[in-house]
Amino acid sequence: MRKTSILVCFIISFSFSFSQSAKLPEVDKSPMDVSYYPNNYPILKIQNKATEPVVARILYSRPQKQGRKIFGELVEYGKVWRLGANEATELEFYKDVKIGGKKVPKGRYTLYAIVNEPVWTMILNTDTDIWGAFKYDSKKDVLRTDVVVQKTDEVVESMSMFFEKSTTGISLIIEWEQAKVILPITL
Amino acid sequence: MKKFLFATLIPVIFFSCREADKKPAGTDTPAKAETPIKVLPPVSNYTNPDRSPMDMVYFPTDYPLLKMANKTSVPPLMRIIYSRPQKQGRPIFGGLVKYDTPWRLGANEATEIEFFSAATVAGKTVKAGRYILYCIPQETKWTFVLNSNLYSWGLEQNRLKDLVQFEVPVEKTNLAIEYFTIACEKNSQKSTALIFLWDDVKTKLPVSF
Repeated sequence: MRKTSILVCFIISFSFSFSQSAKLPEVDKSPMDVSYYPNNYPILKIQNKATEPVVARILYSRPQKQGRKIFGELVEYGKVWRLGANEATELEFYKDVKIGGKKVPKGRYTLYAIVNEPVWTMILNTDTDIWGAFKYDSKKDVLRTDVVVQKTDEVVESMSMFFEKSTTGISLIIEWEQAKVILPITL
Repeated sequence: MKKFLFATLIPVIFFSCREADKKPAGTDTPAKAETPIKVLPPVSNYTNPDRSPMDMVYFPTDYPLLKMANKTSVPPLMRIIYSRPQKQGRPIFGGLVKYDTPWRLGANEATEIEFFSAATVAGKTVKAGRYILYCIPQETKWTFVLNSNLYSWGLEQNRLKDLVQFEVPVEKTNLAIEYFTIACEKNSQKSTALIFLWDDVKTKLPVSF
C-alpha cells in the first residue's frame, strides 16, 4: 500500500506547485499509537485522578488485517517481527521491573517477537530509534521470554497493545487477528 | 517512506488508501479544545486507531531509517511525538484553535519533545531531556512553551511547570495544509528549523545542537 501511495503521490506531486520545496511527512498507513500503564494515564493526570505513578509506555504503529492472513503469512513464523509497523516498537519503563525473572532497569527498549505456534518469543533489546527489525542484533538483547498464544473469539482488525493490572504487577497484552499474548511484567 | 509525500496531497491518499474515516471515534478525543474530556473505559480488545493519528519526527530526519541503513553512527538529536488533527474544511487558527489560548500543538496527548543532548532553541539554551511543547498562537506570532508536565493529556497545561518560552513570527503558505504537520527543515548536521504547518500557517523554531 505504501508503494502505491508513493507512486500515486509522485505522479500527482509533479502536477502541483507548492511554494516550498520541503517534503512533508506522509500520514502513516499504519498509524502510531501509545498505551500507558496506568491506562489512560495522561487523561487521569490532568484530572488529578491518577492513583499511581506512570509505570510503562508502549509506542507502536498499528497495521491492519485488511482481510489478509496475518500469522504464518504476513508475519512469518520463526522470524523476528517488529510487533507493529514502521519504527521498531518502543517499550519504556519509568521504574525498574522484572520480565521472565530478569531485572530490567528503567529506560527505553525495543520490543520484538518471534512468532510461532503455539508460543511467541518476546525479545527486549537495547537498540532504540531504529526502523523495523531489519537490523535486529541479538547481541543487544536484554532478555528473551516465551509466552503462549491464546485464541480470541473475534478477529482483531488493528493490531492492539495495552497494559492491564495483574497479581504480580502488570501485563502487556498484544492482540491481532485471533492471536492474543500476555507478557507478564513484575513490579 | 514518510518523506516522499506532500501533506497537501494527503486527502487524495487518505480517501484512496485509508479506512480511518469509516471508523468510529473509538479511543480518540477530537482536537477541538473546548470538547469536554471523556474518560474512556478500560481499553477494549478492539480499540480503533485514532482519528488524529499519532506520528513521530526525528532530527536528523528519518533517523530510524538512516540507522537501519547504516547511514548514521551517532545517536539521534531530537524526537517529537504528536498527534495529527485534520483541517476538514474548518478554519483553524483564530477558529478551531483560538488565539491567545494555549494549544497542545496537535491532538490527544500533549506533544512531547525530547532533546537527546543539550540544545539551543531560538537562541535559548535547553538541557537535554524530555519536555512537553505547546504554543500560544496569535495572528502574527506564536509563543512556544517548553513545560515539564510530562505524560499529560493536552487539553490543559499546568502553567506552573512552564520552563522557557520562545516567540516566533507566523508565515503564510500558499496552499492550505490538511494535516497538522511537524517536520525538520534541515540546515546542517547540527542545526534545523522545526517547522509547524497547518491550514495556511507556518511557523519555525530554530534548533541547534
